[in-house]
Amino acid sequence: METLTVWQSLIIALWVGAVMSRSFLGGATLMLRFSPLMTGLVVGIVMGNVADAMIVTAAIQLIYMGVFSPGGTMPSEPSIAAAIAVPVALLGNLQPEAAIAIAVPVGLLGTYLYQFRFFINTFLGKRTDRAVAQLDHSGITRSVIIYPTIASLLLFVPLVFIALFWGAPVIADVIAALEGTVILHILEVVGGGLAAIGIATTIYVIGRKEYIVFFLAAYFMSVIFQDLGVTMVTYAIIGTLIAAIFVLAKSNTSAATTTNTPVTNEFDDDEDDDDF
Amino acid sequence: MDNNQTTLSNPTNNPEEITHKDVSKAYLRWHFANEIPHSFERYLAPSLLWAMMPVLRKLYKDDDKLRDAYERQLLFFNTQLTWGGGIITGLMSSMEQERAKQENEHKEITMTDDLMYNTKAGLMGALAGIGDSIDSGTIQYIFIAIAIPWAQNGNPLGSLFPFIGFALYQVLIGLFFARQGFSTGRNATSLMESAGVQNAIELLSILGLFMMGILAGNYVQVSSSLSFEISGRPFVLQETLDSIVPGLLPLVVVLGVYYYYSKKGLKVTRALLWLTGILIVLAAVGIL
Repeated sequence: METLTVWQSLIIALWVGAVMSRSFLGGATLMLRFSPLMTGLVVGIVMGNVADAMIVTAAIQLIYMGVFSPGGTMPSEPSIAAAIAVPVALLGNLQPEAAIAIAVPVGLLGTYLYQFRFFINTFLGKRTDRAVAQLDHSGITRSVIIYPTIASLLLFVPLVFIALFWGAPVIADVIAALEGTVILHILEVVGGGLAAIGIATTIYVIGRKEYIVFFLAAYFMSVIFQDLGVTMVTYAIIGTLIAAIFVLAKSNTSAATTTNTPVTNEFDDDEDDDDF
Repeated sequence: MDNNQTTLSNPTNNPEEITHKDVSKAYLRWHFANEIPHSFERYLAPSLLWAMMPVLRKLYKDDDKLRDAYERQLLFFNTQLTWGGGIITGLMSSMEQERAKQENEHKEITMTDDLMYNTKAGLMGALAGIGDSIDSGTIQYIFIAIAIPWAQNGNPLGSLFPFIGFALYQVLIGLFFARQGFSTGRNATSLMESAGVQNAIELLSILGLFMMGILAGNYVQVSSSLSFEISGRPFVLQETLDSIVPGLLPLVVVLGVYYYYSKKGLKVTRALLWLTGILIVLAAVGIL
C-alpha cells in the first residue's frame, strides 16, 4: 500500500488549518469550509492526480449538497472530510462511493474540533478586553486576528497531519478489504440519500411554508426533464422568472385592493418591530 | 500606550468626516476578520470592533470617548457575513458619526448606547436568517450545482469556478450593503420593511425554494433495488413506482427530513444520524 510523504501530509494539513482558522482569504473561506471541492483539488495537486481527486471530491460534494450553517449549527465539516477521504480513496484506488464511508464520520468528528476553536477563542477574548482598556491598537489586532489564527493552526495542523501520515494508509487498507461486499452498496445508498439533509435544512431555514409549492414544482420539473440535459443556469433563469412573475402579480393585486401607500423611509424611533 | 490626557477637549480634535471609502474599508476589514475570533462568549463581536477601528479613530480623538466606542462595538454580536455584516458595518459607521458630532458639539446625546445596540441587535438576527438562506443556502449552491458535472468529469474547473464566483459575489454584495447601510443610516430599519427590499427577499426566497427543488431532483438519489418474482413474472418495485409518480422516493426522503425539523426543530446532526441509520438498514436488507 502506498503512503503519503511527510511533505504531502504537511501541505494538506496546512491547507486545512488555513481554511478552518478562517483567516486565509477571510470571508472567502466560507465555501472553502462548507464545500469539499477546493480541498479535494488541493489534495489532487499535492498527490499529482487531479482528475481522480476531482471525481472522488464530486461524490463527496453530493452528500453535502445544500449544507450550510444556519445559526452556526453545522452538521459536518466537508473540508476536513475531503482532506482525509480523498487521499485515502486515491491511495487505495477506491470507488468514489467508498470515500463516503470515510467522509461522513471524519466530517462529524471535525465539528467537535471546530467547536473547540470557539472555546479557545473565548479565552483569547480576555486579551481583547485588556487591549481595549489600554487602547492598545496593535494589541487588539493581535488578540482578534493573530492569536486566534495561530491557535487554530496549532489545533488543526498536527491532528490532520497525524491522520494523513499514519492513519490514511491504514484506513485505505480497511476500506479496500470491503470492496465487493454489501458494504459498498450501502455506502452508495447513503451517499445518494444524504443530500436530502442539506436541502431540507435550506427549505426549513427559508421558512416560507406557503411557498413550498415552488419547491415541488421545481422538483417534478427537474425529474421530468432529466434526460433533456437542462443546465443549472437555465433552471436558475427559469426560477428567477417564475419568482419575478409571482412577486409582480402579488404586488399588483395588493395595489388594487388596498390603496397602495408608497413606503417612504421616514425617520421613526420604532425599532422593535422586526419580530424574529 | 497613549494615555495623554492633554488631548482632552482640545477644540482642534473635531471628528473627521466619514467617507464611502472609509465605509468600504470597514466592510473589507469585517469581511476578512469575520469568523477568525468566533467565540462562545461574544461570537463575532471582536470582528466588528476590528472592522470599525479606523472609522472610530477618525471620529473620536479623545481617548476615553474612543475607548467607550470600542466597548460599544465589542458587545455580543452575531450575524451573517454579507447581508448582516454589510448593512450593520455601514449603519454603525453612520450612527457613530452622528454620536461623535453630538459629543463634539456638546449637544444632548440622542444617539445613545442603548439605541445603537438595540438597532444592531434588532437587525443582526433578521438579516442573518435572510443572508444565510440566500447566500450560503441558495447562491452558493447554484454555483456548486453548475460546476458539479465538471468535477464529475475530473475537471479542476469544477472546484475553481464556484469558489471564485461565490467569493467575488460575496465581496461585491457585502460592499453594496455596507454603502447602503451607511447612506440610509438609521432608516436602515425601515429600509428592510420597504416594498422594494421586501419584494427582493420574497423573490430570492422563492428562487431558493425553486433551486432546492432542482437540486433535489438532480442530486438526491434514492431508488429501490427490490425485485422478486410473482407467479413467474418479474416484479421490480422501482419500475412500478416510476410508472405511478416518477421521483417519488427522493421526494419522500427530503420531505421526511423537513417534517422532522418542523416537529423537532432544526436538529441537523440528529437528522443526519437518523437518516444515515435508516438508509443503512434499508440498504442492508435489500429494499433500497
